[in-house]
Amino acid sequence: MASAVDTGSVVEVVDLHKSYGSVRAVDGVTFEMAAGEVFGLLGPNGAGKTTTIEMLEGLLKPDSGTASVLGIDVTRHPGALKERIGVQLQTASLYPNLSVIELIDLFGSFYAKRRPSGELIRELGLEERATALSGELSGGQRQRLSIALALVNDPELIFLDEPTTGLDPQGRRSLWDQIQQMRDQGRTILLTTHYMEEAERLCDRVAIMDHGQILEMGTVNELVTRHFRERTVRFATREGLTDEMLAGVRGVQRVAHESDETVLYTSEVPQTVGALLKLGDELGMHDLDLAVRRPTLEDVFIELTGRALRD
Amino acid sequence: MRRLTAGLLPLTVANIKSFYRDRASLFWTFAFPIIFVVLFGSIFSGGGGAFNVGWVDEDRSPAAQQLRGAFAEVSILVLTDSDRAVALEEMRDGTLDAVVVVPAGLGEAIMPSRTGPPFQLTLYTDPSRATASTTVTQIVSQVVNGINLSLAGVPPALAIAGEALQTQNISAAAYFVPSILAMALMQLGVFAAIPLVAQREKGILKRLNATPLARSTLVASNVLMRLLIAIMQTVIIVGIGVVAFGVTVIGSLLAVAGFIVLGAVTFLALGYVIASYARTEESANALTSVVQFPLMFLSGIFFPIDFMPDWLQPVAAVMPLTYLGDALRQTMVGGAAYAPLPVDALVLGIWLAVCFLLSARFFRWQ
Repeated sequence: MASAVDTGSVVEVVDLHKSYGSVRAVDGVTFEMAAGEVFGLLGPNGAGKTTTIEMLEGLLKPDSGTASVLGIDVTRHPGALKERIGVQLQTASLYPNLSVIELIDLFGSFYAKRRPSGELIRELGLEERATALSGELSGGQRQRLSIALALVNDPELIFLDEPTTGLDPQGRRSLWDQIQQMRDQGRTILLTTHYMEEAERLCDRVAIMDHGQILEMGTVNELVTRHFRERTVRFATREGLTDEMLAGVRGVQRVAHESDETVLYTSEVPQTVGALLKLGDELGMHDLDLAVRRPTLEDVFIELTGRALRD
Repeated sequence: MRRLTAGLLPLTVANIKSFYRDRASLFWTFAFPIIFVVLFGSIFSGGGGAFNVGWVDEDRSPAAQQLRGAFAEVSILVLTDSDRAVALEEMRDGTLDAVVVVPAGLGEAIMPSRTGPPFQLTLYTDPSRATASTTVTQIVSQVVNGINLSLAGVPPALAIAGEALQTQNISAAAYFVPSILAMALMQLGVFAAIPLVAQREKGILKRLNATPLARSTLVASNVLMRLLIAIMQTVIIVGIGVVAFGVTVIGSLLAVAGFIVLGAVTFLALGYVIASYARTEESANALTSVVQFPLMFLSGIFFPIDFMPDWLQPVAAVMPLTYLGDALRQTMVGGAAYAPLPVDALVLGIWLAVCFLLSARFFRWQ
């Protein structure tokens, strides 16, 4: 089982830089992770999440800055580092002609410390597919296999690069359970994602990245309250309700549109809801389906970068 | 050491499993060379495979008589005694496939006390008829080599010449079997570029690189796997040659094995060079063809280099496959030398060194 690290800091990254030609993929990233923490790097494609994580895995050499993982300098001792971390890469391709059990056995043979393959297969729910070739697995099964391979050396720290990208909602939920389970086992997890819901649900802390830089860092609560005092009132956009009319509703500070929803930002929720329902009645819209929510990470992200996460 | 051996065996086993579950690579590695051996073997040893050779004896010594006897024992040669002018005329009208002329002076030239340059037999062949000229040239070379070998030993030389011949079963297949083995070893190495590029493209190399597995182990396991396949290819190809076409392997097994290993490793290094320049699996496929076809056709695999036009011969002289084929023919069946064996080894060694340095410098893991 993963052991606690006495210094408290499992990952220490200071002013990390990495450029490809004139593109600054990672442009001065600094953060720390505590033992047992689930930390999320959140950002759109091309934000520099993968480049950051691959430098911490010893796969890419930083241009400048330092990164220490489990007390190991990633540029000086990548070999020692790789013995102790678990890695799941974004492009999760494996030998298509090898079976699940063959791949787990193979990867286990690379490490000094290893867990029994049967245990991993049970833990990831791959019993029925143990002898199937990896090329024949479904997307979700392949992702669970790649998590099993990340756990093969019983690592204290696990890197998951977009673990649920491309999965259907059911597959995503089942993978979330696996990640929760890893966390319950006391492992420290660094994951990247561009799903806000995933970050809100799994991460103790998140860092929002864009253009190679960390824009904000903290717990989800902290980030939301730091940027919004208001709540949002949402409903399916109606033609008869113009932005001018809505801006005049009591308490409304801002009117926005997210896909086919109208979003009103307000600091006086009951008054706004009452006034809005009344306005609807007057216009013959008796079925306005209102939802009151606090702003989400997505809203924080839009606020910070001016664009949606999945753009 | 643990860095190199950790995972070496499991990775090699995994590579082999991965390999034999892939139909395309199985075909190119085993079926393709087998088809070639059977095809060429059948064409050249099949029905009416005898060659009519004019025998012109201008020496008329007992030695020349014995030499004739040596050639007469080769079952697929039908000798017709004649004089030079008549024989050449008959070769032009197609009655004869080749003419051997023994000029006056053979008797003295092969005495144990002889000095000076080797005595020249004249062999007329028709390069426009590749089959006949290849085979006859090969057979004549082997007979002469056999006699030379015996002469180097204890006199009386000519009596031993006959025995030397009986130990050598000469046929066209003797030319093609080592050649096709060389071709198969070349393809085994060069085609390695395709899975390498595919593994890089799919991120498999990158995933392996995220484990403590050393890169040298990754390369070593690939070399190990290819060598095992090379041994299987050798057994199959030579086995067919021996069983179906009566080829006899006469050379030192150590020398044969040495050249098989050197050749396999050299062409694998060439495969790594291709994989260094190809970015996608498609371009690796294309580049592999661009490399393998000139190697196949300009390296004396299907016909001796002497039959190529003069301007092409320098090209053949730099091809690594020329030297692997030459070395295997010499060591396995005592074929006529294109270059001395140390030169074959040296040229292959240079190719290996250059390819190794190029791929060490330019090969990308991700």
